[in-house]
Formats: sequence, structure tokens, C-alpha cells
Amino acid sequence: MLISKNLQENTENIKAIFKDCDDIVYRNIEIGKERIKALIIFVDGLVDKIVISEFAIESLLNSEDLKNNMENIRANIAEKASTQHLAIHDVKEEEDLNKVVDAILFGETVLLIDGADKALIMSTRAWPARGVQEPQTETVVKGPRDGFTETIRFNTALVRRRIRDPRLKVKTLRVGRRSKTDVVIMYIEDIVNEKLLQEVYKRIESIDIDAVGESTALEFLIEGNYLSPFPQAESTERPDAVAASILEGRVAILVDNTPFVILVPSTIGTIFQSTEDYYTKWPMASIVRSVRFFAAFLTVLSPALYIAVTSFHPGLIPSVLAFYVAASRINVPFPAVVESFLMELTIELLRESGTRMAGPIGSTIGIVGGIIIGQASVEAGIVSPLKIIILAVTTISFFAIPNYEWALSLRVIRFIFMILAAIFGLYGVMLGIVTLMVHFAKLESFGIPFTAPFSGLGLKDGDLKDTLAKAPLQKLAFRPKFTFPKDKRRYRRR
Amino acid sequence: MHKKNTISNNQIKNLLITSVIGVGILSLPSNMASILDNDGWLAILVGGLLIVPLIFMVDRLFKMFPNKDIFQIGEEVLGRILFTILLIVIIIYTILTLAYAIRVFGEVIKGYLLDRTPIKVIIITMLLAACYLARAEIEVLGRMATMVYPILIGLIIFLVLLSIAEGDFTNILPVFNADFTLLPKGILISLFSYAGYEIILLAYTTSDNKKDALKYTLRGLFIVIGIYVITFFSTLSQLGVNQLKRRIWPTIAIANEVDLPGYFIENLDGIVLTLWVLIVYTTLGPILYTGGRALAYIFNTRSHDIFILPLIPLIYIVSIIPDNIISVYENMGIILGYMVIISAMAIPILIYLVALIKKRRRKA
Repeated sequence: MLISKNLQENTENIKAIFKDCDDIVYRNIEIGKERIKALIIFVDGLVDKIVISEFAIESLLNSEDLKNNMENIRANIAEKASTQHLAIHDVKEEEDLNKVVDAILFGETVLLIDGADKALIMSTRAWPARGVQEPQTETVVKGPRDGFTETIRFNTALVRRRIRDPRLKVKTLRVGRRSKTDVVIMYIEDIVNEKLLQEVYKRIESIDIDAVGESTALEFLIEGNYLSPFPQAESTERPDAVAASILEGRVAILVDNTPFVILVPSTIGTIFQSTEDYYTKWPMASIVRSVRFFAAFLTVLSPALYIAVTSFHPGLIPSVLAFYVAASRINVPFPAVVESFLMELTIELLRESGTRMAGPIGSTIGIVGGIIIGQASVEAGIVSPLKIIILAVTTISFFAIPNYEWALSLRVIRFIFMILAAIFGLYGVMLGIVTLMVHFAKLESFGIPFTAPFSGLGLKDGDLKDTLAKAPLQKLAFRPKFTFPKDKRRYRRR
Repeated sequence: MHKKNTISNNQIKNLLITSVIGVGILSLPSNMASILDNDGWLAILVGGLLIVPLIFMVDRLFKMFPNKDIFQIGEEVLGRILFTILLIVIIIYTILTLAYAIRVFGEVIKGYLLDRTPIKVIIITMLLAACYLARAEIEVLGRMATMVYPILIGLIIFLVLLSIAEGDFTNILPVFNADFTLLPKGILISLFSYAGYEIILLAYTTSDNKKDALKYTLRGLFIVIGIYVITFFSTLSQLGVNQLKRRIWPTIAIANEVDLPGYFIENLDGIVLTLWVLIVYTTLGPILYTGGRALAYIFNTRSHDIFILPLIPLIYIVSIIPDNIISVYENMGIILGYMVIISAMAIPILIYLVALIKKRRRKA
């Protein structure tokens, strides 16, 4: 539907669309000597009212020029108002009524003037927003403390501030038939691989859904294997991580209303990277990397190995230890698998209740849980002390994995391993491992093999230098290969 | 970005190594020692070197028909009917090899890890797990092989370290003292250990850099020969030739005999076997994949994955026919020895020779 020249008609149309929407404000004004009728429309709460009052309404009402100038103001009143009278930084003309409605909903202010077949859209977006704060999920000891917020513009600015390059592109798409959520794709034009970029566009543009709530929801819609328990993209709250990833030739997908930014493609290597690795000397960073991989193994395997060793292969551990284990389990009425499930489920319960309850109540849960798990259950004889140690190791390892979603997936997988271990012992654990390895080998993140650093590119091509270990920056002169970047070299010694 | 359905030469190399090395490595030293005593390594070496011309031949064959896979070449050279018959032979061979491998695997796991679990359960679970890999495309096989390769190498290094620490290298002597009239027999048996190399017939054409594929394949073969020879020497140095002959699985036996200093793990054989599951898995997967691909050609379907599961009951039935492990090695092993020579070696040679003759004739 197009805007008509008749203000009355336009007003009726818009009011019909916004029927029963009480947050829409209509402000009627009359401009100039000829008293040309005009209407200002905006959504209360999404706009900066001071800007509208002082720089739009005020300047239109009190313009000497409009008051005195007699000669045909009506002719192209819209352009004149825009170029001569509105003291607002961004004013656009729009002829399509539907787009005007969209603009109102996005927080713009619309000025309709009688006799003009164009609406003026003034950029006045301003809404209550959280400021830039330290991220909650990926804290660092040393490194920048700013985190993304819920407002997409702040977020793009946080990245832009780190890469002042005109080749850093910021493309906006709109996803969601009803939510019309802004989705921004950021990449560096001459680094990113064309095919990867096309794939990202293709997948986002093919989404047909009524609303996108959070970036993770979008991630689920665009990843290759949605049945897999493992996310095939990463999300982060840290602008420095996003900037670094974009410089590696990856693509960042920002979604409005969430501080979490999706990074694609991701590999098993990037999952275990933390930005702090790049702010620490390389030997320490390398140790930490290996520790994280080890932590992932422990998270998945330690309860299963406990079950396998105690119930199937006590001969594998030294006899002294085996006797001790048997002695400590002598009062436990359950088999190791029941004991393990009991405790692992309890710790899940604790974790869940602890996360939902913040502050003092949360710490109460921690203390109560700690006492129950640590002491009472052992004294009551339902679990063995060794199981408590295993439990603690599993839980601590979980928190050592930098990627939260991945850590959660691994936690889920450990239950499957426990069942396998209970049926087949170590052989069952191995069955689980091979199946998991094949599953990883099958996963692809936007056309990039998920296991890239381990399964194809190898040592020479550089990715392993930044995976299991972290080489000094001087040795990482080339961008990682898994993104197939166009511009390969990033460091050159002068 | 990598192209769909291509794998790197390094992945081909790893695929070759992990497909060839499987259950054979456990019994090979003992088999060789019982024929050639201390000089068993010679048969392993010569057997491996006999594969080298085969690999050159495969390379020539694919150069003759650029951008065609083995099925297209076979059909063009031999005609669809004859080639289909040969493929059926290959499928039977696939089923037999898998049945043999899975039976030995089951016996080992039952013997060392799960003494109270029925062997049938072990066989079925492992076969089903192998299905998951075999249903995937060649890229996944390549990636999987590349992930398992370092583990395999780690195990071999571990074996070497064990033999340095515990072994008595005088056990290796005397060399060149065996009855060399038995050498051909030894070579024939060692050839069986190189079964599985035929995965390159499928992998070769998917290389993303065909120029260097031959180099990498040969490198892979030499690594396999090296691993076999090293295994032979390290078991021999630790057990001595008389002990070695008597053990069925000497490779596990040597892991059993050490205690690590400051030990946390008492019986290393359990750990070695646990990792060996991975190595067997990457043997079963590719062979099963080969069978699936052959069936897909015969039934003229585009994807091979639907044929993998129906193969499982057949393999299972064949695998439980022998009564015990001796029967597996004696009867099944001998049948398979011939099957390997027919299907993995004779059939490619046949295709190559016919292709060569046809080409000559066309020129003339």
C-alpha cells in the first residue's frame, strides 16, 4: 500500500493497523502560515521524546521560514521539511505504508504531512538498555572487561572499535515474520572465504520462522546437523573474541536482543580456545589448552571409567588400590552404576538449582548440597568416598571447558558412557568413544569439517599450533587454515 | 573450502595404514616365527614389498582413466556382467574378512577384558558400531583414520619403549639362519596381513591432489611394513623365539609383562587392548564401506549406506561358524589367505592387464 496525498486517509489506514495498540502516540500539528496538517507517530518507550519534541516538533512549529514563506510550500513540503527544517541526524523518505509501519515498530518516528505522498522517517531510536558490562560467562583475569549487550548497535560498535578497517563489513538481515529481528553479519571482506560467506547468507535467508528469540535459537536453525547433541557454532559474549575470530576469517552473526554472538565456522580447536590464551605467555597458555582437553575427557569419561574399573576390571589398577576401593565400597548397598547415577543426578540437581537461584539463596544451596554430598552420603553409606572424588573431578572439569554449551553437551554424553560402561566395561567405553569420534568426524560447521585440526590439516598446515598448544604469536604468522582465508598472512617480521 | 567427497593425500595415507593394521598385528609375529623362526621379519618385509608394484599398478590404472572411479573403470574394461561377478567375489571376500576380523576381535576382548560376556554380544555391538562409520562418506573415513593414526603410532612407540626397557636384543639373533625354502609360505601368510590395502582403490580417485597420491600411498605402505617389522622385533626381543611361537597373541603378552615404574595401572594389556579397539574399528569400517560400495554398484544405487546394515547378519553368521580360535586361525585363515590373493590382488591385476591390452589394441 502506498502513502496517499490525503493525510486523513493515511491516518485512518495507520490507525486501523495499530488498532488496540495503546503504546502508539499520534501527535497532530499544523505547519506554517497555511496551516498544513501533519501527523507525528511513534511508539511510546522506543523513542527519544526529547529529540522529537525539540528537534522535530519545535523546529516545524516555530520555523520563521515556514511561517513567512508564502510561495508554494505545498509543492514539495516533504523534501523541504527534511532538508531545511528537521534538526534530526537521520531522516529518510518512504512511500510504502507497510515499511512506514515497520519503521514505527522499530522505534523510528514518522512524520506524515498533508499533501505529500511520502512519509518522513526520523531516526529517534532510544530505549531502556543495559550498559556495557563485564560478561557473566567468559570472565578473564587479564584482558578487556567489556561484554556485549542486548542492543545490536552497541555490539557492532564494540567490534568496530577493535577493527577500524573499511573492509570490515556489517550487513543487516531481518529474520522472523513477526519478530522482524535484526541479524547482523560481520566479516572482513578480503579475508573471509566467499563460499563460507555465501553459505552463511544462504542459511540465514532460508529461515522462515515467526520469531527468533535468541542467537542460540538462530544457531539451531542454521547448523548442519540439528539432531546432534553438539552445537556446530560457537557463541560468545566477548567483543575481543569476536574481533579476533573475524580476523581469522570467520563470520560473526549478531542477533538483536541478546548479548551472545554466533561465530562460524567452529572446529574442535576453537571450542577449547579462550581469549585469555592470547593474553598470556605461550607456555602457560599451552598448558592451559592441554588441561582443557584433558578436562573434556574427564567430564565425559571419569564416571564411566569408575564404573568400568570397579565392576569389570579391578585388575587394571594396582592391587593395593583395588583392595582399598573394594573396602571402601563394602558398605555401599548399590552396584557402582546405581551409585554413580544417584550422585551424578544429584550434582545435576544442585547445578540446576544453583544456577536459577542467584545470590544468597544460591550459596545456601551450595552449602547444603556440599554437606549432603560431601559428608552425609558417605557416612550414611550410600556412596563410597572414591565416588565423591570422581564426582568432584567431573564437576570441576566441566567448568574448565570454556564453551558453555559444549560443556553441557559433554555432560549429557557422560550418562550414555556410564550406561555403556555398566554393560560392557572398558570395551563399552571404547565403543562410545569410537562412535563419538565418528560422530565428530561427520559433523561439519558450515562446510568445514568439525574435527579439522585433528583430522585433516595436520601439523604442518598450522592449526595444531593453536589447538592443543598455543605457539608464540611470531610462530602464528598465518591465519588458521580451517577458515580457508583469502588473505593468509597476518604477521610479518620486519 | 574443501570440495565435497575429496580427501587429502595425507588422509589417504592414514586410511591405508589404519585399514591394513587391525587384528593381524596381534598374531603376525607368532605366525611368522613359527614358520621362519628369527627371520620372520624377512617374510613380512618381502610380503609388504610385493604390494609396492600393486600400488604402482593402481596408480597407472587411474592415470589411464582420469576422473573415473574404480567401478566406472571396471565396467568399461571388463563389461558390466563380468565386473559384477568379480564384485560378488569381492563382496564374499569382504564378508569373510570382516567375519574373521570380528571373530578374532571378539575372542581377544572376551579373553582379556570381558570374560563373562557372550562373544556374540561383543561381535554384534562392534559390528553395529562399525556400521556407523561405514555408512558415512569417504571423507569421514579419512578424517577418522587421521584421528586414529597418532594413537596407533603412540601404541607402537610404547611397544618399542617396552622392548627397550624389558627386552633382550640377543633374542633377535641369529639372523638369516632359517630354512629359506619356507620363505614363500611365510610370504603368502604375511600377505594376508596386508589385506585392507584395497581401500586405496576407492580412496585414490577422491584425492584432492592426484599428483602426489602415489607418493603418500607408498609412504603409507612403508609405514605399515615398518610397524609390522617393529612389532615382530619387539615381541621377539622380549619373548624369545620359542615363547613367541607358542603365544597366540604375543603383542598383548608383552604389554602384560611389564609394570610401569611408580605404577598407577597394573595390567597394561587392558589399556593396550582398549586402544586397540580403535585400531580394529578403523579396519572394520573401511572394509564394510568397500562392501557397501560394491553392492551399491551392483544394484545401481547412488548411495551405499542402505547396504551396510543388511551385511551385518551375514558377517555375524559367518563369524560364529568356527568353534574356537584355533579353528578361526586354521580353517578360516587358510580360506581367507586364498581369498585375499584372489580378490585384493588378482582382480586389480586382471583389470589392469585387460585395460592395458585393450589400449594397445586400440592404438594398433
